[in-house]
Amino acid sequence: MDFEFTEEEEAFRTELSDFLDAEVPDWWQGMFTEDERAMPFTRELCAKLADRGWLTMAWPPEHGGSGASVWKQAIVREEMWAREEPRGPQYMNLNYIGPLLMRFGTPEQHARFLPPMARGEVIWCQGFSEPDAGSDLASLITRAEDRGDHFIVNGQKIWTSYADSPADWCLLLVRSNPSAPKHRGISMLLLDMTTPGITVRPIDTMAGPHEFNEVFLDDVRVPRDCLLGGQDHGWDLVVAGLTFERTGIARYARAGRVIELLVDYANDAGLGDDPIVRDRLADLYTRYDAARLLNYRAISMQAKGEVPTVEASVARMHNTQLEQAVGHVGLEILGPTGQLRAGDEWAPLRGEIHRYWTRNIPSTLAGGSLEVQKNIVAQRGLGLPREP
Amino acid sequence: MNLELSDEQRLLADTARAFVDRHADDADPWPAMRDTGWAGLLVPEEHGGSGAGMTEFVLVCEALGRGPVVSPLIPSVTAALALRWAGTPDLQDQWLPTLATGAFTGTVAVLEAGMRDEWSPAPMSGLGALTGTKVLVPWVPDVAVIVVVTSEGLRVVERSGAVRVHDHDPLCAEPHAALTFQQAPAERLGSTADSAVVLARVLDYNAVARLAYAIGAAERALELSVDHATNRHQFGRPIGTFQAVAHRCAEMRADVDACRYLAYRAAWALDHDADAAIAVTAAKSFANDAMRRVFLHAHQVHGAMGFATEHELHRYTRVAKSFELSLGGTTRHRDRLATEIGLGSRP
Repeated sequence: MDFEFTEEEEAFRTELSDFLDAEVPDWWQGMFTEDERAMPFTRELCAKLADRGWLTMAWPPEHGGSGASVWKQAIVREEMWAREEPRGPQYMNLNYIGPLLMRFGTPEQHARFLPPMARGEVIWCQGFSEPDAGSDLASLITRAEDRGDHFIVNGQKIWTSYADSPADWCLLLVRSNPSAPKHRGISMLLLDMTTPGITVRPIDTMAGPHEFNEVFLDDVRVPRDCLLGGQDHGWDLVVAGLTFERTGIARYARAGRVIELLVDYANDAGLGDDPIVRDRLADLYTRYDAARLLNYRAISMQAKGEVPTVEASVARMHNTQLEQAVGHVGLEILGPTGQLRAGDEWAPLRGEIHRYWTRNIPSTLAGGSLEVQKNIVAQRGLGLPREP
Repeated sequence: MNLELSDEQRLLADTARAFVDRHADDADPWPAMRDTGWAGLLVPEEHGGSGAGMTEFVLVCEALGRGPVVSPLIPSVTAALALRWAGTPDLQDQWLPTLATGAFTGTVAVLEAGMRDEWSPAPMSGLGALTGTKVLVPWVPDVAVIVVVTSEGLRVVERSGAVRVHDHDPLCAEPHAALTFQQAPAERLGSTADSAVVLARVLDYNAVARLAYAIGAAERALELSVDHATNRHQFGRPIGTFQAVAHRCAEMRADVDACRYLAYRAAWALDHDADAAIAVTAAKSFANDAMRRVFLHAHQVHGAMGFATEHELHRYTRVAKSFELSLGGTTRHRDRLATEIGLGSRP
């Protein structure tokens, strides 16, 4: 066992961190604000990252990456997530849409879709959830009819982040065979978002207007060469993709940064000696520490070539509940003015904690709810019997 | 960074598991344990030990907690650590080789009535021969050497008629005693200033060893809970098919895993002298609360049977509660951690 990054890895972290400190402006608070500078900024930053070879460093050399170790990838995720993910929507391309294309795509699809991702030029969104298919994702009903050289798609997707950014492409999950058992009749399509018949409607949320969208699909034509993987075998891709996604975000890194902000705030406010504040923040720190180590355990398994399905769910249980706890305790320490938002001159810590609490209300839902994670741990990890 | 055990560490853990399978029900497992060399894991080779690290010792303790195998291993190794770090060459020659082979056992006497916890100042005077009473001292009848915490630092007392033993009947299965010293001859173990540093380290090592032992107990409690949830039927189905039950087990898994990696990291930090204080105190304070949650779930899943002493669950529950109550409660460790993460008064 070794609980330290190597000197080379630490040097890389310093280089990346210095670059980001210089490039990420003070006003940046992530993608889902009303700030119109956000999208141009993230596009520009991704181009600079691509120039340095840092955007796709995790990708294998045959797809334009440098095959960086899983630990360097972890460092990138930590430094990015600690700064509210200045790569914007690109992290999805890098973490799992790209890898899914590499694993399941044809050579033609590789040539067509991977280079623009590697340059950080293209925005993808993910069309999975439907109004009646959330935790029970496999019950989705958006229909793709096979018309030979193309499919005709009709249905509705929901909770689609970045669709209004606007996204260029959508990784779309459809029912291609309604007579097969529900997991066996699903396909994955690569949908050009400029195709006629697509309507995007933003959903206003507690965290602002740009976090989620509904996507309506009316007689949308998708060419057959945009089918990813085998027809009716889309569920295999979902399983592979969700495993990439669960450890693909260093949620603990942002929580750790917010805890640092709160420690400074408490000291400045004369609360550094307050026994209750001390107790609360130390508790958060131990939970942050645990969440981080459990992510590192999953990454250690990936380094050996194993797929940490159950371990990723355990890590996620800790990470998402940590985020929520940090938000709650943070607002408690700030007191009544914690209600004030970014932009209000009386908002403590520039409204940062308010925003952090708000945006983490659904963190125990996204990417598989807390209950779904517990089911995975109980059934696949502990071997408990399934519900009848 | 690599959180996987090495092949040697895995082998050691497997050996310890096999030992537990064979000896968990022995009336006295110590003779068998002497042959394993574990008592000498943290004793340097020149004193007859194997000079291994805390990580190795933690793997052994974790396996023993699964039994739970009740033995003087942890207190005896803890006494050896104090002698190793603060003893004169003569004291080391006198005690370390026999402690390393397990021919003799040692213990550490810290608590006195009125002390809040092991970190509070000890009232017993260390000037001259020792007089006074230590409580909750891990004890077996043939303990040969006692490391005693006094207000003037650490002292070494050889077992003699000047030490009267009153057996406790504590929560945990490990035998403990109150020791009354009556003008007991004592040798100084390091200067007063060194003693404070050594004692803090000894307590940190002891806390991590006890934590590992509790993690073994918690892992076993989880296995028992999963067995019970799988085999116990109510309403015509295994109770583990109800999410209310299954999710308790999943939460136990998540908490035990967190405790385990916090403990491994603390052991690593002690071995590498890298931010050990923050690593130990984070592990102890997280685990204190996590053990409560784990055993709350274990008892809830087991139903009334878990309360009956004919079922084995209670043995593990006792290990965990005893761990929580020893070596600093959650509040104490969080306060220490708060300072470590930078909370304090501004000038």
